[in-house]
This record gives sequence, C-alpha cells and structure tokens, in this order.
Amino acid sequence: MSTAVKNQVRVCLLSVKYNIMREMVNPVTFVTNILFMMLNNATILVQWFILFRLRGEIGGYTMKDVMLLWGLTASSFGLSKVLFARAFSLPELIISGKLDSYLVQPKNVCLSMLTSATSTASIGDFLYGLVLMAFSGFSMGRLVLFLLFTVTGAVIFVAFTLLLGSLSFWFVRAEMAGGQIVSGMISFMTYPDGIFQGVSRYLLYFLIPVGMAVWKPVHIMTAFSGNADNGMSVGAAGQSLQSGLAALLTVAGYAIALMSIAVFIFYRGLRRYSSSSLMEARM
Amino acid sequence: MYAIEAEDLSKTFRVRVKEKGMRGSIRAILRPQVEKITAVDRVSFTVEEGEMLAFIGPNGAGKSTTIKMLTGILCPDGGSVRVLGLDPVKRRKQLAYQIGTVFGQKEQLWTHLTPYDNFRFFGAIYDIPDRETEERIGELAERFALEAFINTPVRNLSLGQRIRCEIVASLIHKPGVLFLDEPTIGLDPVVKENIRGLIRQMNREYHTTILLTSHDVGDIEKLCRRIIIMNAGQIVLDDSMEHLKQHYLSGEDAESVNSPSMSLEDIIMEIYRAEGRTEKV
Amino acid sequence: MRKYVKKTSVHETQRYVCGGLRRRPGRKYRVIYQSVLLENLQYAANLAMGFFSYFVFIYIFIRLWNYMYQAPGELIAGYAKEQMIWYVMMTEMIWFGSDSGALTRQVITDIRGGNIAYMMNKPYHYTLYILTKYTGEWSIRLPMYALLATVIGTCMVGAIPGFRIAALPVMILCVVLGITINAVFKICISLFSFRIEDATPFLWLYDKLLLVVGTVFPIEIFPVALQPFFKLTPIYTVCYGPAKLVVDFSAGKCIEILSAQILYLAAGCGLMFWIYGKGVRKLYVNGG
Repeated sequence: MSTAVKNQVRVCLLSVKYNIMREMVNPVTFVTNILFMMLNNATILVQWFILFRLRGEIGGYTMKDVMLLWGLTASSFGLSKVLFARAFSLPELIISGKLDSYLVQPKNVCLSMLTSATSTASIGDFLYGLVLMAFSGFSMGRLVLFLLFTVTGAVIFVAFTLLLGSLSFWFVRAEMAGGQIVSGMISFMTYPDGIFQGVSRYLLYFLIPVGMAVWKPVHIMTAFSGNADNGMSVGAAGQSLQSGLAALLTVAGYAIALMSIAVFIFYRGLRRYSSSSLMEARM
Repeated sequence: MYAIEAEDLSKTFRVRVKEKGMRGSIRAILRPQVEKITAVDRVSFTVEEGEMLAFIGPNGAGKSTTIKMLTGILCPDGGSVRVLGLDPVKRRKQLAYQIGTVFGQKEQLWTHLTPYDNFRFFGAIYDIPDRETEERIGELAERFALEAFINTPVRNLSLGQRIRCEIVASLIHKPGVLFLDEPTIGLDPVVKENIRGLIRQMNREYHTTILLTSHDVGDIEKLCRRIIIMNAGQIVLDDSMEHLKQHYLSGEDAESVNSPSMSLEDIIMEIYRAEGRTEKV
Repeated sequence: MRKYVKKTSVHETQRYVCGGLRRRPGRKYRVIYQSVLLENLQYAANLAMGFFSYFVFIYIFIRLWNYMYQAPGELIAGYAKEQMIWYVMMTEMIWFGSDSGALTRQVITDIRGGNIAYMMNKPYHYTLYILTKYTGEWSIRLPMYALLATVIGTCMVGAIPGFRIAALPVMILCVVLGITINAVFKICISLFSFRIEDATPFLWLYDKLLLVVGTVFPIEIFPVALQPFFKLTPIYTVCYGPAKLVVDFSAGKCIEILSAQILYLAAGCGLMFWIYGKGVRKLYVNGG
C-alpha cells in the first residue's frame, strides 16, 4: 500500500516537473509571463489606496489586512494552478473524451488528470502573494501560518473547481457555468468579509467556499500577530493559541471534507463516463 | 489460455437528437429526444497469445468502441470480456500494468522532452525501479534502432521517428497485449513500411499479442494472419488471411467471379457491399 | 447555350458588385455587420453566462459603497451613493458589453499569422472591416447588459437622483461613441504588430489603465493633482464621459463630452488609417 502511494507521488511530482520544464523551453517567455502576472495583480492595489483614502478601515480591515487577504488569495490560487491546473479545464477533457489516456494508465485517474498541466503565469500569482504578505507585516510565525493557509486555500480551490468541473459529466453546459462561478469566487475573495452581511455572508461561507479559503485564515493570522505584538500574559497567550489552533483545524478539516466530496463526485461522474452517453463527441 | 476472450459483447449509446432550427433547439431543451445507437452488437471472438490480429471496418463500425471496452475505458452493456484473464472494468488498474495502448494520432509523449526522458516517465507510471527502466530503455533502443535520436527532444524528430518512439514507449512495461488504434494513419508509404516492420519485430521478439485497427489494407495484408471485419457493430467476417484470399480468388462467391485478380482491398469492399445489401433485404 | 448563360451571369455579377460599390460604398459594411450580428445571435444564450460575473462585480460594489457611505445623503467626491453605484454599473456595462474577440485578438493574429496579406487585397478597408465586425458583436451584448443593469439598478440600488429621461438618446449616443473610440484606439495599438513582434502587452496596458483608473471610480475621486492628466487620456471619452452623463446630466457637461468624443474619434481614425497605411507599405516592400 505504502509503496503504491510512494509511486503515485513520484509520478505526480515527475509530471509537475516535466510540465514546468516544458514551459521553460523558452526562458524569456517564462519569466515575462511571471513578471507580467505580478504586475497585473499589483495594479489592483490602486483601487485600495483610493478606498483607504476615503476611510481608515473597510469592513473591519486596514490596508495591511487587505494586502494580506489579497496575498493569500493570490498565493492559494497560484499554487493550485501551478500544481493542478488541469482541474480548471476538466470540462473540456470530459466533453472531448480526453480522459481515455488516464484510464489506460495504472495510476489514480483523478491525480494523474489534475497534475497533467501547469500554468506558469500562476507562479507569478504565488510569488506576488508572498511579496504582499511580507509588506503586510512580516514575522516568521506569520509566514508559517501563511504557507499553511496557502495550502488549505489551494486545496479548497482545486476541490471546488473539481466539483463544478465534474458536473460536466452530467451536463455539457456546466462547462461555462463552472468557470463563471470560480471567477466570481475569486472576486469575492479579494474584498473584506465585513462588507457582506446576512444571507450573502452565510452563502459565502457555506455555498461558495470563500470564507474558509481566505477570510477565516486572515482573521486567524491578524489575531495571531495582534497577540504577539501586545505581549500578552503567558496564560492568555496559551488560551488564544488554543482557540487559534482550533480555528486552524476547522479550516483544514473543511478543506479535506470538501476535497473528499469533490473526489467522490468525480468518480461518480467517471463511472458515467465509462458507460458513456456522451457518444457524439467521443466516437 | 486466450489472451483476449469476448463473448456477446455489446454497447449501446444514447444520443440526444435535435431537430433543425430554433424551434428544434427549444424542443430539445424541453423534451429531449433520445435515440439509441447500437455501436457494438453481440460481438464474440478470441485471440490467442502471441497472435497478430487486425480489426477493420468502415467508420462507425464499432472498432474503436470494442477496443475501448477491451482496455477498460468503456464498460460494456452486455456480454463478457476477459483480457489476460482479467475483467477490464473491474480490474482496470491491474490490467493496465499488463497491456499497452497506442491510440492513433493521440500523442502520449511529452514533445519538449527527449524520448529517453519520456521512457523514464512511463517507467515511473508503471512502477518500474529506475535501474530496471534504465536497462529496459537500453535494450529497446538497441533493438528498435532508436539510439541515434534517443536524446533529441521529440518535437525535433521526424514524424516516423516520433511514431516509433510513441510505440516503443508502450513497451516499457513489457505488456502482454498491445492495442494499436490506427497506428499508421497519416503516414507516407516509406514511414508506414518502417512502422510495420517495428510492429512485426515486436510481435516476433517479445511474443506480444497485437490487436490493431486500421483503414489501411496494406497494414493488414502485410502484418496479420487473421482478420476480423466489422460493420454496423457486428462481426461480418472472422477468418485467416490466406483463407480469405483463397475463398474469393477461387471464385466460389458468385459476386466476385467477374474479377479474377482481386486485390485484398477489392475483396474487403466486396464484403462491405454484400453486407449492406443483406441488411436492406 | 449553357456556356452562354454562365458567362452572362458571371459578367452581370461583376458589374453589379462594381456598380454597387460606386453607388453605395457603405453597403458591404452593412452586410458584414448583419452577418456578424446573426452569427452572434446564436450565442445569445452563452452571452448570458457573462451576466453572472457582471452581477457579482456589481453586487460587491453595492455592498462596498453601502459600507463606505455612512450617513444618508452623504456625498463622496461630489457623488451621492446611488450615483456612485450607477457609475460603476455603467462603466462595467460598457466593459462587459463591448468585450470582443475581434478587437483583442484578431488584428494581432491576422498580422502575426500573415493572414493580413490576403485581407488587405479584399475590396474593403481592413480596419473598417474589423470595426464593423466589432460593432456587430457589441450590438447584441450591450443592450443585454443595459437591460440587466437597469434591472439590478432598479431592484437593488434605486433611481439616480435627478435622472433626466429626456436626455436618454444623448446618453446612448455618448455610450456608442465611447465604445467606438475605444475600438479605434485598440485597433491602433494592435496595428503596432506591424512594427514590433507582438503588441499584446500594449493592448493589455491600455486595458488595465481603462479598468483600474476609468472603470471603478469616477475621476473626481482621485487626487486632484492627477485629475487633469486623466482627462487627457482616452478614459475621459471612453468610460468616464458616458457614465458621468448618465449619473449626473447637465447640458454643459454634455456638450463638453460630446465635442471631446468627436475630436477623439476624428484623431483616432486619422491615426488608425495612417498606421495601417504605413504598415501595409512596409509589408509590400518586405513581402510580409
């Protein structure tokens, strides 16, 4: 069993490595893509400078908090697209019958599929997120938390995309709807949760997983650095550490649960793919 | 033991039908009309170990669907299949270790990498330890004369060299059965001949069972001793090449008496035509 | 007999086309427009998918401005809350409604791929062909987004204070002019591909400028020192002008913006023909 897992991991890593090597065939384009993506992201900061000129805090966030929020969104999204870019084009694979080649390999279909493409520009997203995080107040503890939440965020991204993409096993039209919902999700992620109240806030925490991907982590991180700054008593610090840890586990648990559901749906869909009624596209 | 056993293998697709025009589109959304198409209809055959067998038939005859059911990509609606003693649907992964597939022009190689790196990747997929992969690559490169270009990125290879590598890549894990879906499609005659040589060699030296589909009569004539002709989802002929030629050339069949020196191509066309006629009657 | 008939018909067609050209030079552009329109009508359902993104953007801005305006009746940079939200709705409507493949990719692909060599010998002006094609694309999208904006606006934001329904035709004219000016500028930038390898980054920069500076906020919200500079950029005529007229109409503003637009359009077209002419000459000399 453990050797099977090891072999699977080996194939996935090799796949990601080869993907990135392919992009690096032309090094100038490779670097330009990354830098352009970072520049692209940086332009949005203009909007926030303007908004914070009007008010000192927005939805409970300061400029630094917004930078952290943006940073986490960019890094999570970037990581998910560097490692699992294929999740974002899954509907196309399903509709054009290109899952066949993964089905004849003696490996996990879902993982082989997910790791079979990469988006190099997204390395820019990932790095940009780190830069923003550094500007929003750097400390070692924060960096560790940030990287941890980048991973959970990326898992949530991939899971949600995989889930929506798998709907194409049943409905051809789901292709476009899925893409729209994911880009909508990113839009929500880059605004403070404090401006959303009532039903919309509830939906953003439970229906579209924006809350657990970035908002909750940002709250944990700001609370963490706030405590560290204030030099709390040992007892209080211990207590807040405990609640912080609980929150962290909640986020991780959520990410794992969402991924399990997504994988389950994917395999249900794959069964349908194998018994295929999508023949027009596949003969 | 047979390498492949198929009995009453069937596959039906449900296809949505849409009428023409805007009104048709609306109707298709409100009340989708589903039509059943039988792609493979109670097909039975067996393949001996080490045999080289060709599947031919017009477009849409059900060849690809059959291969997909044999490799576990599609699950059959009816009948049973055994490939190397395994049920392709239930034991898909296990079977994958023992079979190789080359699907026509669908590239499986990474074009920016060298054949060597590609073979290494396939070695990893089939859980072969690095040292063994290394040895295997050396052996295959020597046997199939890949040494000259094994370290050239695939995108810089000629089409013929690329297809050679494509096929050799599917041999890394010593498959017992190899499925080739139109391996020579779109190649010029010289390259075709080259690839046929490779396939013959594979069959001879590794005793690999080979099942190939093709539209090219030359492939079949030069490679296979046995031929299965499919039409409209059914096997219309399953015979040895020699028998086929004798049968038709001796003029037993009334339809072909008029042409004493028929090529295999003519014979096959004749069979397609005869089949079409019987169906109408 | 048969030969004879065939001959006449070919001859007649030729004469007809030539005659048509001489009589009504705009006719072929109308035909191009109509075919693109019909083609795009089939994708109307797909276009509706973009509504979701538009809705998300607007929804976020409604929440955002609801948070930013603390007291009822408050003004930010001279705008009431409703005006501020309608402003974003209008600029985003222009942005989404005029998003087009003909402009963002086709010109550059045509030039880089060498397709241009075939297209410039056709009996139409290439730039006008692109412009017409583009017009066919937004003629479907824009009204759909306008309808959506109206629905969202009335249901979730409320009426614009002091909106003058009588001025609606002028507002529409202003939006159409803005979109056309935008197209002319984008074609100009795309035509740079004649000289440099790929003009895509410049197109991207232009889009970013429009999106970051022109779409989200009215110009008045930026630091005073920057405002005169923004008024010189295409932002003023492409997105700020039309949106400003919709949310805060006055006759004086109207004349100012319209005249600026006409000036920009004339200058832009002149530039477009000039760059194209130079590019084509270069192509003739170098043979592609």
